[in-house]
Amino acid sequence: MTDVSSLSGTSREVASKLFRARAHSVEVEARPRAEITHKPRKFNPPMPKHYYYYLMAPAIAILAFISLYPFFWLIIMSLQDVDIGGGEWIGLKNYTKLFTDARFIDGWILLAQYSVMCLGLQVGLGVTLAVVVNSSKYEKYLVTALLMPMMMAPAVAGLLWLFLYNGTFGWYHWVLQSAGILDSASILASADTAMYAIVLVDVWQWTPLITIIALAGLKRVPRDQLEANMVDGASPLRNFFAIILPNLYPVLLIAVLLRFMDNFRFIDSILVLTGGGPGSATKILPVYLFEVAFKFFKLGRGAAIALTLLIVTILLGKLLVRVFEKPQGGKG
Amino acid sequence: MASRDVVSYDTPLSRALSIFGTVFVAFYLVWTLLPFVVMFVSSFKDMLEAFKLPVVGDWAGMTVFFDFSPTLKHYTTLFTENSFGTYIMNSLIAAGGSAVISVIFGSLAAYSLSRVDFRGKQDLFFWIISTRMAPVVAVMVPLYAIFRSLDLVGTLPGLILAYTTFNLPFAIWMLKGFFDNVPYAIEEAQMVDGATRFEAFRSILPLVAPGIGAFVVLCVLFAWNDFLFAAIIGSGGAKTLPVATRELVQPQNIQWGSIMAAGVVTTAPMMLLGLVIRKYLVAGLTMGAVKE
Repeated sequence: MTDVSSLSGTSREVASKLFRARAHSVEVEARPRAEITHKPRKFNPPMPKHYYYYLMAPAIAILAFISLYPFFWLIIMSLQDVDIGGGEWIGLKNYTKLFTDARFIDGWILLAQYSVMCLGLQVGLGVTLAVVVNSSKYEKYLVTALLMPMMMAPAVAGLLWLFLYNGTFGWYHWVLQSAGILDSASILASADTAMYAIVLVDVWQWTPLITIIALAGLKRVPRDQLEANMVDGASPLRNFFAIILPNLYPVLLIAVLLRFMDNFRFIDSILVLTGGGPGSATKILPVYLFEVAFKFFKLGRGAAIALTLLIVTILLGKLLVRVFEKPQGGKG
Repeated sequence: MASRDVVSYDTPLSRALSIFGTVFVAFYLVWTLLPFVVMFVSSFKDMLEAFKLPVVGDWAGMTVFFDFSPTLKHYTTLFTENSFGTYIMNSLIAAGGSAVISVIFGSLAAYSLSRVDFRGKQDLFFWIISTRMAPVVAVMVPLYAIFRSLDLVGTLPGLILAYTTFNLPFAIWMLKGFFDNVPYAIEEAQMVDGATRFEAFRSILPLVAPGIGAFVVLCVLFAWNDFLFAAIIGSGGAKTLPVATRELVQPQNIQWGSIMAAGVVTTAPMMLLGLVIRKYLVAGLTMGAVKE
């Protein structure tokens, strides 16, 4: 169609332009219809479902081989004393031993501590950051900068922070020491502080994830509620706690669950930074599992530990999927 | 509709809050970006220069950080003394292979899951997604035992298959959401015009192609950054960049310059790719919870 802005000039010109536009549209209508190139079938049956199953089959087959089949293996292995050589049936012994394994229980406690610390800091910092970024002119650039740590391989991040934490030449160590927070011993060397060190790395890398999720939630806070509250004379702080935060809960729940499961999933940076030490101060359960299975190659015992970890993850996953599928659950 | 458009009154409190916000973001940016700066700059420093620190408490002495004569030797030793060329290839093949496999089969499965309903679909879907969420170490225990019996440990095909354990479910989950947004009516119209089912499917491909491309990149990103699978399943014959970087840490002699250079080599390509698919990055990192 003719652009309206081009309709200027004398009335005669306008008329001629309009006329041309009309002529053009007539021409379009007169154009022959697209020819059907394929031979029409006698009847077009409703799509049989098996067609879709064929499309699905390869992916399902691959997944079955790399996830379902290993899962049954895991169960079988957990009932055996599997070593480098081969297995020998020992029934439920791998499981009963877990109850008396102090490091297994400590692993769960440390995992819980680690997750709570990480999530507390990440949610606090992430939401604050989101609120500030949301009202900034430079939102786009800020978000791009915030995305950067998440592009880094966690193992590389671990190595980088190992450098920064180093007791003799690490810059962060120097800053902490200069600020009087640390004495000359490295933050990684002491069992009291090593946990904080790995928490800080996780916070550095993944707080932005909470920020971008919270940012999306902030865009959906109903404006009329905010304005009504403002008109009633509420302060910005009150606005935040009375309106913004409650509106953020659903998306924050998703963010927290995602991060929580990632704390189970990724231990790359911890393995690089402390390897679970000093002593077993940072030996959260996945790290302990890694040690049992791939350092001592007690695969049977490892399988039993892995199964407990899997069960907890599956329960969390069930929760997450349920949250995801709720209409207000953040799917936009 | 951005909530920033809401009118706000200028009060001392709101002014204090906005100053606090600016300071907070400034500090946060320093804290986020400083490690990158340190990594980048240190990779060009000679050993002794990299270890130079001011006296404790001497805040003005921080300028020694920029006091160095740049050298490229850490980058060249990566390729001469260590064979980082091979490791880059390994990383590329393993990450690219699993990404392509995942997205091809994933998009077919996602398409059909998006278009058809059947009993147990929810359960199937949950199984698929829980595979992605399972802890890597836990998945690796049986996978290692199986791969060992198939002689796949330490080979690139083994690593590709291992990466597919998390990339394929990811691709299915993300692409299903993607196909859900493509109206079925388009295909119906094609079929009414006499197209076969496959031709109708093909007709929507141009609509979804950019997204599918972005998910290939995201899968590459996840696989490229993996350390655990590569360290165990790929140990020996299929060393990837993160593992090779980690191996520069030796008990007697930690080659920090080379580690920083290797860090830059590992991170820079992923940052560039991340910028290219910026539009899909946020959706991918949040498992589709957020779409920009």
